[in-house]
Amino acid sequence: MLKYSLDGVPLLTRGATLCRVHDSPARQQGDTSRVVIFATALLFALTLTAQSTNELRFCLRGDPKTFNPLLVEDENSETVLYLTGGVLVRLNRYTQELEGELATKWKVSENGRRIDFELRPNVLFSDGTPFTCEDVASTVRQLMDPAVHSPQADAFRSANGPTESKCTGPSSVMARFPAPVASLAARFDQVGIMSARSAHKESAVLGPFTVAEYKPGTYLLLRRNPNYWKHDSNGKPLPYLDSLRLDIQQNRESELLRFRRGELDIVNKLDPEMYDRLTAEMPHAVVDAGPSLDWEVVFFNQVAGAPLPEYKRRWFRSDEFRRAISDAINREDICRVVYRGHARPAAGPVSVSNRFWLNAALKAPAYSVNTAQARLQRDGFHRSGDALFDRDGHKVEFSMITNAGNKLHERTLALIQQDLAKLGIQLNIVVLDFPSLIERISRSFNYESVLMAFTNVDLDPSDQMNIWLSSGAQHQWNPNQKAPETQWEAEIDKLMQAQAAAPDSKQRKAYFDKVQEIVAEKAPMLFLVNPNALSAVSANLKNVTPALLRPQIYWNVERLAIGSKLVSQR
Amino acid sequence: MLSTVFRQVRRILLTALLGGLLGATLVRLGPGFSVDERELDSRLSQESRQAIRAERARDSNIAMFYVRYLAGLVHGDLGFSRSLNRPVSELLKERLPLTLGSLAYGVLGGVSIGLTLALVTACWRVPGSNIAPAFLAGACLALPAAVIALLFLWMNVPGRWAIALVVFPHVYRYAKNLLVATYQSPHVLAAQAKGLSSSRILFAHVFAPAAPQLAALAGISVSLAFGASIPIEVISDTPGVGQLAWKAALDRDLPLLVNITVLVALMTLVANSLADLALAAWRPEVSRETA
Repeated sequence: MLKYSLDGVPLLTRGATLCRVHDSPARQQGDTSRVVIFATALLFALTLTAQSTNELRFCLRGDPKTFNPLLVEDENSETVLYLTGGVLVRLNRYTQELEGELATKWKVSENGRRIDFELRPNVLFSDGTPFTCEDVASTVRQLMDPAVHSPQADAFRSANGPTESKCTGPSSVMARFPAPVASLAARFDQVGIMSARSAHKESAVLGPFTVAEYKPGTYLLLRRNPNYWKHDSNGKPLPYLDSLRLDIQQNRESELLRFRRGELDIVNKLDPEMYDRLTAEMPHAVVDAGPSLDWEVVFFNQVAGAPLPEYKRRWFRSDEFRRAISDAINREDICRVVYRGHARPAAGPVSVSNRFWLNAALKAPAYSVNTAQARLQRDGFHRSGDALFDRDGHKVEFSMITNAGNKLHERTLALIQQDLAKLGIQLNIVVLDFPSLIERISRSFNYESVLMAFTNVDLDPSDQMNIWLSSGAQHQWNPNQKAPETQWEAEIDKLMQAQAAAPDSKQRKAYFDKVQEIVAEKAPMLFLVNPNALSAVSANLKNVTPALLRPQIYWNVERLAIGSKLVSQR
Repeated sequence: MLSTVFRQVRRILLTALLGGLLGATLVRLGPGFSVDERELDSRLSQESRQAIRAERARDSNIAMFYVRYLAGLVHGDLGFSRSLNRPVSELLKERLPLTLGSLAYGVLGGVSIGLTLALVTACWRVPGSNIAPAFLAGACLALPAAVIALLFLWMNVPGRWAIALVVFPHVYRYAKNLLVATYQSPHVLAAQAKGLSSSRILFAHVFAPAAPQLAALAGISVSLAFGASIPIEVISDTPGVGQLAWKAALDRDLPLLVNITVLVALMTLVANSLADLALAAWRPEVSRETA
């Protein structure tokens, strides 16, 4: 049995026996046993070493700012929370359906103010303390503490007032908020449950991995949670991986180089140029999951008190002018030239990949210089020679700012500049570093137009409330209005409030469809493209099902496995 | 000697502190200081946005910032990095050893290569002998530190050697001119005429008079190396102080930037002062003349 199952050990046993040929049979037998035990231990240790290489490796762009699940704000901390935090419900990134995790059932009542969860029994935190309803109640209470200012806490704050959270049974818990919260259950996808009793607090987790080592600026090592509650269909405990090594690396070129060398298993958020380069070398490693939820948009400064000449403010506040610019931009060209075919012209604030909330009746504006010219003529603009002039004889010339270091934006601006030149409009491109750009669009309002990318992390439009409400700080073209300055903004305000309060998702969708139609008609933001979600994955990574929603590749991290070939290489 | 050391220490501390605070003033006056990227998160409520602005406004009064910073410094508190959400002292403690190691490699490597090539050029006075070293030094001088770092990244060579290549051409050009000029000075010609050995001429009649300038060159190399370490650490993803300085500048992280500026000023001044002190100990008469 031993000979048959353990290669190498019999030879070692025989050798040891031969050396002691003159010893007594009993002594020889004892020595042989010791050698067998030693060899078995050695083999076991080797097996353990081999197992420790069952490790998935990828990069974070920077250090996570916190390991406290309730204070997460930055993308790197969100990644760590996703990999370590246990949540009550999880949005399946592939099917876009809500699934129970630590909660087996849930019920939303009181018009979206209250939610009741039935909790999964026999679940332990990574440190061995049992998961109870008190952990959920305590997490909700901490999250809703007015002193906690985090995006996930604010997602529940639709009105001021106290939040109630308590156990309603040994394995059931409720939370009641001061006002209805849109998509209340889905909001818990971002809430990592913390232990109310564990002395380890943040390090006691319910997710598939726990933080084992952290060397700031270098790497973060996560090991499998030995108490993780999930099993696969064969009853095997999940996750399959033993550990995750997240190298902290900001340089994308270096990340790609390491992927090519086989030092990394995943590269997230590839830019189109890198994607094409990698496609030429490793065609089986690249993944284009289709249009993401992110937007590339242009908007004009419509702020009443902005330091702009009055005639320019009139242009920017004219619906016809904005729509003319929109019609004159060739979105197909941007997709083809800038994104190398890895983007889709955008029709509005909802990507085609957002199956439920998309208003399918809307189409991306068709490129037409003639339509644009007709709109401008209707608005009193006229062409003289190569230039365009407004009704008062001002030459149409404006600047567009964007963030420095973003090659895609710089190339997009170059194309827009060419497109607008066909209308006789002179566009001046200004590249600023990001803090300067934020200062201009949110404090000093000292800009004319801007090209920006919006990262969308949620399917539900409730996260866009601050963008569409005229009183919102993110109502970028004219923020913080005391009262809506236009009829259509007042209409959007009403519709957004109505969709947030409506209990029925179909009714909410009808309201938001109307918002999308108004946005398409009035063009306060010119939606250009939805870039595709591009990634690279090692061929040796098993069970990969790329999704559009973040995190695209490792959303099912507990089921990912490293192929035996790669394990042996490592 | 003791009073010289005391004066040097006082001068270093005052200059470093002044440098740091002036650096802070520049950052405060730069665009985008008072904004925070988090404000663009559409999920944030008005209250949270105001809380972020209030937190940011805390450092907007530069005079108050100086007072708070100096008061903290007295108690050993270097402040808190907003962008990395950690105390500055922890960040520097973690990253300084790596950068110091890289600087040591870079400066020693750069000075060694530069001096060796300068010596070869100065001693071996065959026409055309300086073409190859001059070309190499010119190429390294023409290439920005970031490009050298990228080349090293592609070749999978540690970034610290890139620092050596940045330091080397400066050392080479200066040292070569200095040694060639010294070799041509009358006392060296007289020594050669007397038939002294090459090594005696080199150490006693060339190196000795050039020592003050060479020592100053070593001091300057430290600040050169630190300047180069910023792009090199950023490109090679080395978690050192150079990378920290880059992040602090991008995020307008005032407490972090002030401390890094003070640190860089300290390192430069200490390196120069050490060179001065070493010279004073070795050749007091030259040191007095230089002073």
